[in-house]
Amino acid sequence: MASTHRAGGQVIVFGDNVNTDVIIPGRYLISIDPAELALHAFEPLGPETQERLRASDVVVAGRNFGCGSAREQAATCLIGAGIKAVVAASFSRVFFRNAINTGLVAVECRDAVSAVQDGGQMFVDYDAGSVEVGDSTFPFAPYPKGLRDILEDGGLIPHLMRQNANGGTR
Amino acid sequence: MTAPRTFAQKAIERASGETGLEPGRIVDAYPDLYMSHTASWRCIRTLEKMGVDTLYDVDRVAMVMDHISPAMSTKTAADHALCRDFARRMGVSKFFDVNAGIAHIVLMENGLVRPGEFIIGTDSHSTIYGALGAFGTGVGFSEITAAWVTGKLWVKVPESVRIAIDGDLSPGTYAKDVMLKLIGDLGADGLTYCSAEFGGAYTEALSVSERMTFCNLAMEMGAKNAFVAPDETTLRYLDEAGADRGDLTVLLPDEDAAYARSVRMDGSSLAPQIAVPHTVDNVLPVDEVAGTHLDQVFIGSCANAKYDDLVIAAEVLAGHRVADGVRLIVTPASAQIMARASSAGVLTTLIDAGAMITNPGCGACAGNGGAMADGEATLSTANRNFQGRMGSYESSIYLSSPATAAASAIRGVITDPRELLEAAR
Amino acid sequence: MNLVEKILARASGRPKVDPGEIVIAKVDRLIMHDLSGYLTADVFDRQVGRPIPDPERVVMVFDHHFSPPTERQATVLASNRAWARRHGITLYDCGSGNLHHVAVRHGHIRPGMIVVGSDSHTPVHGALGTLAVALGNDSHAGTVLPYGKAWFRVPETTRIELDGTTRPGVTPRDVALWLVGRIGEGEMNYRALEFAGPYVRALPFWERWLFPLVSVDLGAKCGYIEPDEVTEAFVRALPGGPADLLERSDGDEAASVLRFDVGEVRPQVACPPTVGNVVPIEEVAGRPVQWAELGGHGGGRLEDIRAATAVLAGRHIHPDVRFNIVPSSRAVFAQAAGDGCVSALHEAGATWFPPSTGSNQAVNMGALAADESMISTHARNFPGRNGSSEARMYLASAESVAASALAGQISPAQEKS
Repeated sequence: MASTHRAGGQVIVFGDNVNTDVIIPGRYLISIDPAELALHAFEPLGPETQERLRASDVVVAGRNFGCGSAREQAATCLIGAGIKAVVAASFSRVFFRNAINTGLVAVECRDAVSAVQDGGQMFVDYDAGSVEVGDSTFPFAPYPKGLRDILEDGGLIPHLMRQNANGGTR
Repeated sequence: MTAPRTFAQKAIERASGETGLEPGRIVDAYPDLYMSHTASWRCIRTLEKMGVDTLYDVDRVAMVMDHISPAMSTKTAADHALCRDFARRMGVSKFFDVNAGIAHIVLMENGLVRPGEFIIGTDSHSTIYGALGAFGTGVGFSEITAAWVTGKLWVKVPESVRIAIDGDLSPGTYAKDVMLKLIGDLGADGLTYCSAEFGGAYTEALSVSERMTFCNLAMEMGAKNAFVAPDETTLRYLDEAGADRGDLTVLLPDEDAAYARSVRMDGSSLAPQIAVPHTVDNVLPVDEVAGTHLDQVFIGSCANAKYDDLVIAAEVLAGHRVADGVRLIVTPASAQIMARASSAGVLTTLIDAGAMITNPGCGACAGNGGAMADGEATLSTANRNFQGRMGSYESSIYLSSPATAAASAIRGVITDPRELLEAAR
Repeated sequence: MNLVEKILARASGRPKVDPGEIVIAKVDRLIMHDLSGYLTADVFDRQVGRPIPDPERVVMVFDHHFSPPTERQATVLASNRAWARRHGITLYDCGSGNLHHVAVRHGHIRPGMIVVGSDSHTPVHGALGTLAVALGNDSHAGTVLPYGKAWFRVPETTRIELDGTTRPGVTPRDVALWLVGRIGEGEMNYRALEFAGPYVRALPFWERWLFPLVSVDLGAKCGYIEPDEVTEAFVRALPGGPADLLERSDGDEAASVLRFDVGEVRPQVACPPTVGNVVPIEEVAGRPVQWAELGGHGGGRLEDIRAATAVLAGRHIHPDVRFNIVPSSRAVFAQAAGDGCVSALHEAGATWFPPSTGSNQAVNMGALAADESMISTHARNFPGRNGSSEARMYLASAESVAASALAGQISPAQEKS
């Protein structure tokens, strides 16, 4: 069943300190629709980047990805753009929380970031705690169970709804 | 015997009911307050989607309509109306409408933030609550919604960094300059996931307002939360704000607590600082960018639009006029600040100098006004200068103290405020 | 000839003009705001592209925006600024105040002038004894800017004579709104309206202002008040020195006269969907309002601010109401700050906004949700003008607006004992 915990494909690579105003400009925050938000994801970087984003499966970034605002749409817009995982050298903490809580796989793995080329392939197995780039496998600390449950349910709110449907909380 | 603990450890232990928490542990914490701003409507819609209509504790819910105030579109007007109806229906007593001001400032001014409390907010600058010795941290709207229902959220216990600031600042330099310098030195991820504990003789002598500037800007280094130890200054502020001191839990770090890092800074030789486009950690002393052309100056935001910030701006602007071709926008952080500025004559000084005073709120910092066209430049007292945050992706945002902002508005170019302050002396 | 005819005769170089004639006349002043200015500049640059021979005749005021919320809006303003600079046109930037108030207070409007503008309330300048007419943007671009001229059909004039004494609590705005209801919207189509009679004569300048303001609602081409000592004294105090253009009519030249006794008037409210849907305030008292505003072409005057202060000082507005105050000019804001009105109304729970035209068309503020209502001193209440087309806009005097903000529902001001 490992495949359900494995996500990935083509990679788009960004640098350090990519902030939330670049990921999704504040003017579009009146929406919470992933598809609509995706149209404006990375708009400050121009249409070419946006097109490449939509053709990609994995966002790879350097240090401090998602720094800035607490806007959850920074994660939502990537989901809308078809991104299955974000792999970065490090995350801004609010972005990391928002990713997990919206069901977007976010993994800190500096070595994998160094190993992959822009446009190359990358797969993340978040259960096993590994990132695959070509023939190489890079380990990362697997998620604690609580976070994995949220991720598998597709985010915090679906997770809570599921718990409610099952007749209460843990 | 328990091991010595940092503020963050103590605050999370208090909020989770657990003991012996080491950095890295993930626990469920029960916040004392869940703040949501203009994003509240998303929480309400999410709650509807969940089909839930009972809240864990409605008295812990605080809503402030600050980011877009008042509405400029039918959509926003409907969002605001949804929040008002919800607050009335559910009995949310800590509801503040579009006339109140910036959430963080409004909650603190109204005595709703107290030392030792664990507070989450739909705003990354929720670290500001550390100015009163509380643990404040930003989350997304889904987490606020979840907290409304379950009363809790998962928290990873952070490492702590001690930042000691000493030395007397020279005239013309302020808490904002200290923080810009620090952000420039440590970098935008210098404190990622850390609890930033500010100390040192300079910090201890600061007003609560200046401590707010500290804790607010700690976020720009990635901090999870920030902290200044509560003292007499804090208690006086709490009394003035009408905070309930009945069951106050002042949490202080133990003396030999373990810190991941220690940072020291001496402010005595500090010059006014400017963050230049497009990141907050791109910081230079003012003389390296002095003369840069400006189209707009914005004195606003939860970082620097408090009463003392407006007083400093007014001192610089008194008897001067804003340069031709420069728009000076002043947005008081809250209605209370507006009231003080109005009755003390600060407002008149600003108006006479040519400032445009807007209604209290986040204003141009949240994109609610102050948008720029291609090629324009703004000097702002806010906390972010990311590309496109104020209109065009081809515009520039510089960050500074209110004094530097005011001096630069007079000259129409980035200006060292000490030139005007010395001339006034 | 009456005032309008004399002005048109002078400006067209004729000894005499008669109603119905079409003349080409020299325009003394063109006033534009940020929205109409943008359209006019665009047409002018693309289709006319000539130099503007007398740019000092043109005034632009940014009043629909005080702090643009989007890049697109910022770009509109930047483009206007560049256009004004390129042509040497006087520009009052964001936060200066309402177009019409700024144009008057900075001395750009003098008695006897022909004033044109795209804003439909341009006839308000008839309060100074001008011929003030709203024209389309293309007229400005095609003839006013390059040639300083426009064609006019000489209108027939109706004199509206107001006499009598108002009841306590009735303000000039109540009288003006009542007139719209009484005469009927559009009833004065294409005519010039002279507002006259002892009641009008006795009013100070900024109260007279409210009468030519409703010309457009009556369908008139323009409205005016014959200049007198009040006008002269007002104009003398403006920047630019004494007036030298004071035209007077030769005598009783109006084609028709309507006489009204203002003693009949009770405080009025214009209800949606139009300004002419006017009723005494008692008929709608009790309807909840969530928003109140002093501002717009007619509101935000010092008179309005003082009236609201008299109602609200030492009290607090209803918790369910947001009360916006938008000064009509920087001068008004400075004066209100200096004499304590800013503090008093702020303490009463009102929110101050930058001098501008406020919530007019919800460009920079003032959108309403579907079930919300606003009572204001604005000049229009068409559905959809402020956010949802299901929202309701009520127009009334500053006294009634303040009293309604206090009560949380439409409410007449308590008469002072």
